[in-house]
Amino acid sequence: MKGSDNNNIPSMNRRAALIGIGGLSVFSVLASRLYYLQIVRAQDYKVLSDKNRFNFNTVIPERGRILDRNGVPLATNKQDFRVVIIAEHVKNIDMTLTEMSKVLPLSAPTKKRIKKDMKNRSDFIPVLIKEHLDWPTFSAINMQLPDLPGVVPIEGKGRSYPHGGVFTHVLGYVGKPSPEALAADDDPLLKQPTFRIGKTGVEQSYDKEMRGAAGQLKVEVNAFGRTVREWDTDKLEAKPGKDVWLTLDSELQIYAAQLFGEESGGAAVIDVMTGELRTLLSMPTFDGNLFVSGLTSADMQRLNGDPRRPQFNKVVGGGYPPASTFKMAVMLAALENNVISPDETVNCTGKITLGPREFHCWKRHGHGPMDMHDALKHSCDVYFYDLVQRMDINMVKDMASKLGYGQKYDLGIGGQNKGILPDPKWKEARLNDSWRTGDSLNASIGQGFVQATPLQLAVMAARLANGRQAVLPSLLISEKLPEPQDLGINPNHIAFVQNAMLSVCERPGGTAYRPGSLGIPGALLAGKTGTGQVKGISAAERKAGVIKNKKLPWKYRDHSMFVGFAPYDEPRFAAAVLVEHGGSGAGLAATYCRKILKKALERDGMVSNEQKQSGEL
Amino acid sequence: MNARTKTSSPLSKLFEIYWLLPMLVFLIGLVGVAMIYSATNGIWGYGAKQHLMRFVGGMGLMFVVALTNIKVWYALAYPSYIAALILLVGVEFVGDEVNGSQRWLDLGLMRLQPSELMKMAVVLALARFYHDLPRWRVSEPSGIIGAILLIGLPVGFVLKQPDLGTSLLIAATGVTLIFLAGINWRIIITTGIATVVAIPLAYTYGLKDYQKARWKTFMNPDQDPTDAGYQIIQSKIALGSGGVNGKGFTQGTQASLKYVPENRTDFIFTVIGEEFGFMGGLGTIALYIMTLAVCFWLASQCKHIFSRLLIYGLATTFALYVIINLAMVMGLAPVVGVPLALISYGGSVMMTVLIGFGLILSAHLHRETELPRGSGLLL
Repeated sequence: MKGSDNNNIPSMNRRAALIGIGGLSVFSVLASRLYYLQIVRAQDYKVLSDKNRFNFNTVIPERGRILDRNGVPLATNKQDFRVVIIAEHVKNIDMTLTEMSKVLPLSAPTKKRIKKDMKNRSDFIPVLIKEHLDWPTFSAINMQLPDLPGVVPIEGKGRSYPHGGVFTHVLGYVGKPSPEALAADDDPLLKQPTFRIGKTGVEQSYDKEMRGAAGQLKVEVNAFGRTVREWDTDKLEAKPGKDVWLTLDSELQIYAAQLFGEESGGAAVIDVMTGELRTLLSMPTFDGNLFVSGLTSADMQRLNGDPRRPQFNKVVGGGYPPASTFKMAVMLAALENNVISPDETVNCTGKITLGPREFHCWKRHGHGPMDMHDALKHSCDVYFYDLVQRMDINMVKDMASKLGYGQKYDLGIGGQNKGILPDPKWKEARLNDSWRTGDSLNASIGQGFVQATPLQLAVMAARLANGRQAVLPSLLISEKLPEPQDLGINPNHIAFVQNAMLSVCERPGGTAYRPGSLGIPGALLAGKTGTGQVKGISAAERKAGVIKNKKLPWKYRDHSMFVGFAPYDEPRFAAAVLVEHGGSGAGLAATYCRKILKKALERDGMVSNEQKQSGEL
Repeated sequence: MNARTKTSSPLSKLFEIYWLLPMLVFLIGLVGVAMIYSATNGIWGYGAKQHLMRFVGGMGLMFVVALTNIKVWYALAYPSYIAALILLVGVEFVGDEVNGSQRWLDLGLMRLQPSELMKMAVVLALARFYHDLPRWRVSEPSGIIGAILLIGLPVGFVLKQPDLGTSLLIAATGVTLIFLAGINWRIIITTGIATVVAIPLAYTYGLKDYQKARWKTFMNPDQDPTDAGYQIIQSKIALGSGGVNGKGFTQGTQASLKYVPENRTDFIFTVIGEEFGFMGGLGTIALYIMTLAVCFWLASQCKHIFSRLLIYGLATTFALYVIINLAMVMGLAPVVGVPLALISYGGSVMMTVLIGFGLILSAHLHRETELPRGSGLLL
């Protein structure tokens, strides 16, 4: 028995050696595999490991503000208070929500939504409870936090327009990027869920400047996507966007908006030296803040259903017959082309006849003999009917162009209307019809085909006030003002028109005669009324007696217009006011314009407090 | 010699234990404690502490086993085999399912993995079988059938759980022992050829779908980067990104950020490779090789076949554990769920491994002891 054992052992030793060698070779295979992974391929795997480990989160920069000329913010970034809940820290969701309801009432559907969201997402992803909280609620939640496990209060930044709607038509608003914007712009910011892009107005046109540059945050994430910590290396601070300064005087514009109240229309105030717009208002307006957080369908319906069209930027986009405010252009055209002596009178009998048609003066029984000065002062239509027949309509057109009609301006906001300055070529192209004398007659009193925006009327007033330069309106404060172009009108002729405009406001018989209406000693107002017909008056109606404007339905009433500048002696500001369906120009528009110009002058510091007080005494 | 053995008290025997082996085992265990500590983001109570306690306890058990006379283990060889077989069958009926296979037997205090016990029991049984078998009968049909029965029964039951990894491990250990017992080369060569032919057939008909899926994933891990393939990819990233010297203790990002699943248990080698680099990985492999070399040397010192085959068999099982685990972690073998012996977190495997080393030490300690050659149960 022992013998067989002993025989067995040497062979077993040999075989054990074989097994040992086999084992060693297997281990060397493993070691060389390890060598391959850890030394040959080390760099590749290091890259992969870092790719696993790090995420680069985009940090949204703070959007530049929009400020008025005095630095008053018109568009800012407001703290937005939100509360979220993180499932993994919640002990009992029902208890937490019940506790939460004590400080922040939550509806049953909201609670249901929160629970659903929590179930559908990873445990560490915050679920929104509510956003846009007010400060008292937010601070109350902060106080209750010990009883609200999992609830996290968050302060974010959201766009805010502190003045509600007053500047909306200029500023525009921001919103989520549209699919088109996403396709056109590869800025990674646009893909961030909370990023907002300028949709209209200055917000849109200066979006790139205000947007800033995205920052980058290097975070370490674990296999489940949770951020474990932030890294200081490779960190890129977000570069905040630049502030945009507007030429507007916010206080003046707010004042103008208050004057309008419920009325519809627009107002523009221009610095006659620089062209800077102090006010650019369209009424009624709407609150841009509504668009930031997402418009409710009720708000949408209200905006779209309003006949006064709050969303329409009337001051730059509305084309209105300029009516009698156009007469300065006709006058200047006549003077510059020497077609009439200013002293020559035309007898106004209340109408003129042209073939089968009658053209009426606004004054039924006529003004009697009128020279050029009086014709403007009284806004006599018949004088201009007569005048325009002595001219080529192109003369009027050219002068109107010089004064600022029929063109868009570089304001950096869209929605501008070019207006219409008709001539035979225009009529041919547009209506396939030849120009008739009647068209000229209508044009001479700013009716018929002529259309202008309130902004263009303000530019005209500014150019008339300036007299030498073709003032260009601007909305953005820039270091370099556009090189002023020479207006190219005889200063004597300008002075003549200015004087006639003074008579309109400050001399007895003027259509807007209210002496000293600016209420500032020594400051006189020069201006011109305009009453834009909305509805033609038929011969039958005229015979039956003209219906008082106020008795007409709102939408058929005349547009009330006024253009003016002040002070007459040393013009500082020009303004145009249009009140849609506001009746005669001497009414609402003139009243608003006076008050706005007065305020503008006061705000400009032209009137010292002393003078103001003595004036009041 | 006989006299000395007889008069030796357990205390004096303790000094005769071959101390290099327990020292190596202890060193490997400490590596395990450190790596589990790191894999659990430095939280002592998430495994490292338990590992250390089990390990120290297990080493105590190892010494008890080592000091027990080899005659006792010889006598218990067949009974323990039968007991393990009964437990294996029992697990079919009352076992807990983990990952779709029944492997655990809940004994109240601890959960027992009968297949783990079986690994040792098979070695004991085979060692005794060949010890008792006259040398000339090793290559005879009776010797071959006896050995195949001893191996085949447990392999069959473990395969039925189904646990492919363990059944292959048992089979491989058994075949190694048959080889060492001196079966003639003709049989070895013919069986080898037959096996090569049988493997494709076994793959087609013998494997469960999830086992096939594992195999496919192993062959092409990038096709399934979220599941099992993800595990292999992340494992390789962890090792590779460790480079030569590693990222430093507890500095492994793949480990701390949980990119490698199961890195406290089966994939613990990724933590070593990531934090201590190629040097750490190679050092660990060297520790295992040294341990195995010591075992082989101890075997060669034994006088009787039972002790030799016992040591070879247990060392082979241990080596196979390590090789399969390392090959799996390095992407050279499919993910089969074999832990890295002594380093991976997990009680059942650690106990059997330490008891195994106890048996090895006992065999060496009692290398001069006369063993009877009883006519075995199976003859």
